[in-house]
Amino acid sequence: MLTVDEAERFLVAEARLLDERRFDEWEALFTEDAVYWVPMDPDRDPADTVSIIYDDRKRLHERVYRLTRTPVLDQNPPSRTVRFVANVEVESRDGAGEHRVRCNQLIAEMRPGGPGQAGLNSPRWLAARCEYRLRPVDGGWRIAFKKVVLLDADQAQYNLSFIP
Amino acid sequence: MDVAVEVARSSYGDLVVDDPREFRVHGSIYTDPRIFEEEMQRIFERTWVYVGHESELPAPGDYKTVLVGRQPLILSRHEDGRIYALYNRCRHRGAVVCREERGHSNFFRCRYHNWVYANNGALIGMAQASGYPEDLDRSRYGLVPAARLESYRGLLFVNLSPRGPSLAEHLEPVRKYVDYWFGRSPSERIQVILPPHRYEYPGNWKLQAENGFDGYHGNYVHLSWQRVLQLSRESTVEEVQQYRQEGCVRGLRNGHGLLERPGSLNPASSWTARMMHRYPEYAEAMRRRFDDAQLVEISARRNILVFPNLYLFDTHIRVIVPKAVDRTEVQLYVYALEDVPEAINRSRFRGHERFYGPAGFGAPDDIEVFTEMQTGLRATGDPWNLLNRGQHRERVVDGEVIGHTTDEAPQRSFYREWKRVMSEA
Repeated sequence: MLTVDEAERFLVAEARLLDERRFDEWEALFTEDAVYWVPMDPDRDPADTVSIIYDDRKRLHERVYRLTRTPVLDQNPPSRTVRFVANVEVESRDGAGEHRVRCNQLIAEMRPGGPGQAGLNSPRWLAARCEYRLRPVDGGWRIAFKKVVLLDADQAQYNLSFIP
Repeated sequence: MDVAVEVARSSYGDLVVDDPREFRVHGSIYTDPRIFEEEMQRIFERTWVYVGHESELPAPGDYKTVLVGRQPLILSRHEDGRIYALYNRCRHRGAVVCREERGHSNFFRCRYHNWVYANNGALIGMAQASGYPEDLDRSRYGLVPAARLESYRGLLFVNLSPRGPSLAEHLEPVRKYVDYWFGRSPSERIQVILPPHRYEYPGNWKLQAENGFDGYHGNYVHLSWQRVLQLSRESTVEEVQQYRQEGCVRGLRNGHGLLERPGSLNPASSWTARMMHRYPEYAEAMRRRFDDAQLVEISARRNILVFPNLYLFDTHIRVIVPKAVDRTEVQLYVYALEDVPEAINRSRFRGHERFYGPAGFGAPDDIEVFTEMQTGLRATGDPWNLLNRGQHRERVVDGEVIGHTTDEAPQRSFYREWKRVMSEA
């Protein structure tokens, strides 16, 4: 049984890993069959349309590898983020197995740079409705599914490569 | 007043120097808001501009709204089956009659005084019609159609000016490459998948236009991507860098151009041949439609720019939407190839997501460079940008300027057309 308090602690800890750019530890939160989905239209089947992010575990690993071990331009300088987790709700069929967790997230993001640099130095705010499926594994919880529906998911976005 | 305008006009032409050894463009074309305004009038509101694909509006009543230059228009499919391009402006007091991005409706209604228009723009009625004479000629007050709307194989183009070349004349130099692009579908048809990827960057629209067929930057801007491919054992960095030396660029007349990787019937060397090898029913359908020489051409991978705002890529139709001199939206409409196995399209969608879009492993690196250029271009110590790479080794064949895959021949074609349109009387 996952309580709202426990779910919130889990989500806040996940947010901290991302804010502190501990991407390897963040990746380890996901199950081997996990899906990480940032749709443009959450009502469409992601297999038959195109999403901002639709990662299986292999692609999620590529994403983290790219951010941490390759010469990325778009995350150099890297993003600073401050994430807020709120409105946590937990749903479970029988108190065992996977729990569905909903929350809202607010992500402040900024990349620092020299004076007058286009695209740098201005904080932006991303608001999202999120849905997780958390699965009990070895006495803890792992992410089997994470969906991030941005408030402006269907609008033009500047780079989102910092992991929303 | 007229004199001032004349001076300005001749100076726009001077911003592109077509020197045989040092082709160059002036940095103000990316930074000066007055030049941007002039571009909107002369290029986007007076030449053929891509606005969408017919498959986005499959049924009568379907519509989408677009910007052509700075002007709001509606593309609407009427009960007669035809698509109309209409200025999105009520004939009464000027409010838009449609605010949605896309949808389905039997009519367009201005919310101010309930003037109602049919999907072809015809004025159907208004609130309290008794305030107008009974014999009011309503046919004079329909939504105004764009001067010209034409389709090439489902690709829809609008021209707000009734003068100038036909769409067929405009597309003639690039048409055969567009035809090859359709040819990866054995019925030569595509289906646009909605919604599009959309990204916006703080930079000029021409930075995207210059980049899509730039074969010079890949090994540097996309080294990160090459390392991901190596991680997943798809190809080594060396193999990708070798591949990026193959093929050519083509600068075409009317401002079009392309980057081309060689075609092949060998499954190890081309995507099309690989899919034909993997899916026998696809191979059979392709061989029924095309001979070997055509298949080689079709399997060549090309990034094709149709001047000024359309790119055709292997996974998507890319539309450049200028918003301000230093703000641009880019829309990537992924499409399905019709009459191919479903698995082929699904793998194309996943492959597209991996590289493109705001969180892909490649496109954000390009966007990053555009923003770096927009900042650097404010430095005017020497205000000129060089686009002279490969001028000494290019050759002209049948009106096409052909260069090494890393050369800037297509960029030069683009700016020759820019110069012509911007200095036209």
